[in-house]
Amino acid sequence: MSAQDRVNLEQSTVLLIDDNPQALDMLSSVFQGFGVKEQIKCASATAAVRIIQHRAVDLIVIDCADPEMDSYAFARWLRRETPAPIRFTPVMLLTGHASQSKVQEGRDCGVSFVVTKPLTPAVLLRRILWLAGDEREFVESANYVGPDRRVRNFGPPLGIPGRREGDLSTHVGAAVEANMDQSDIDMLLKPQRVAL
Amino acid sequence: MTEARTLKIKTSLARQMAQPGGRTVAEVERRANERLDRHRDDVMITVAGTITELELVASAAAPGSEPQVYKLASSLLDMAGFFDTGPLYDAGYSLCEVADRMAVSGAWNWPSVQVHVRAMRMILTGGCQADATSDALLMGLRSVAAKART
Repeated sequence: MSAQDRVNLEQSTVLLIDDNPQALDMLSSVFQGFGVKEQIKCASATAAVRIIQHRAVDLIVIDCADPEMDSYAFARWLRRETPAPIRFTPVMLLTGHASQSKVQEGRDCGVSFVVTKPLTPAVLLRRILWLAGDEREFVESANYVGPDRRVRNFGPPLGIPGRREGDLSTHVGAAVEANMDQSDIDMLLKPQRVAL
Repeated sequence: MTEARTLKIKTSLARQMAQPGGRTVAEVERRANERLDRHRDDVMITVAGTITELELVASAAAPGSEPQVYKLASSLLDMAGFFDTGPLYDAGYSLCEVADRMAVSGAWNWPSVQVHVRAMRMILTGGCQADATSDALLMGLRSVAAKART
């Protein structure tokens, strides 16, 4: 990302959820600076659920430790209980410190990113730009619903059959050589006279 | 082994951000930093207040108040994490780590909390500057955290 690259959030609606009012105001200021079209602020995940049930948003940023519904529970609800395309909405989960019990939940709840503090506007912006170009597939299985957690797809481990249509077999594997030139490909296809 | 279904999707955010227009990264960052900076003084007041609360909880060391430590330290990180508070953030993070591990293991140790809180107060008083003093304090806290991990 260079300083001269462009960011266009002028058509985007962002849902900001934070149970700390001061932190919510700061997040709001940051997104105001990013130039988003609209931001909806929620002081709890349960309030955010009511909003999502009535309207779509383009990005969700959440930092919520409310025992009634925390960030992880909200993400699981969004991914499993809402219809498409709402369930595909990118979610960034912000956290200061993730307790031992929450680390695995963070991996399994289906968020697009877990962003740990300290965070700066530059860090948030980089993550948003990454999301804009995110080509990960959306996975739905009994144990997990959310963006593919394999940011780099090297296929299934050796000796284990793939579970997805796009998984390469262990015999083929990932490409190890550079792609052929178009001229080389043309040469392969070009009909040639063969002297018999 | 469960069957996984995969879908190729293009989010509305990706479609919108691919549209022409918008601002440069440099401009957007500058605007966001300016707006965020307006909160700095209020946040530092809140952070100082949270440390005072931690001091009260740590000095009372009352049975049953252990969960308060993690809650307060975590709330300090939530606020301080928006700004460059350097060693203060590191000390707060260390306290969260220690409190979490002691709570999970059931071996709570108030002196470990108290030393963290004293270090945080000293770092705050020193203007959250990373220097030889804060380095020495953080090194001490790392030893405390390492002990909590064993």
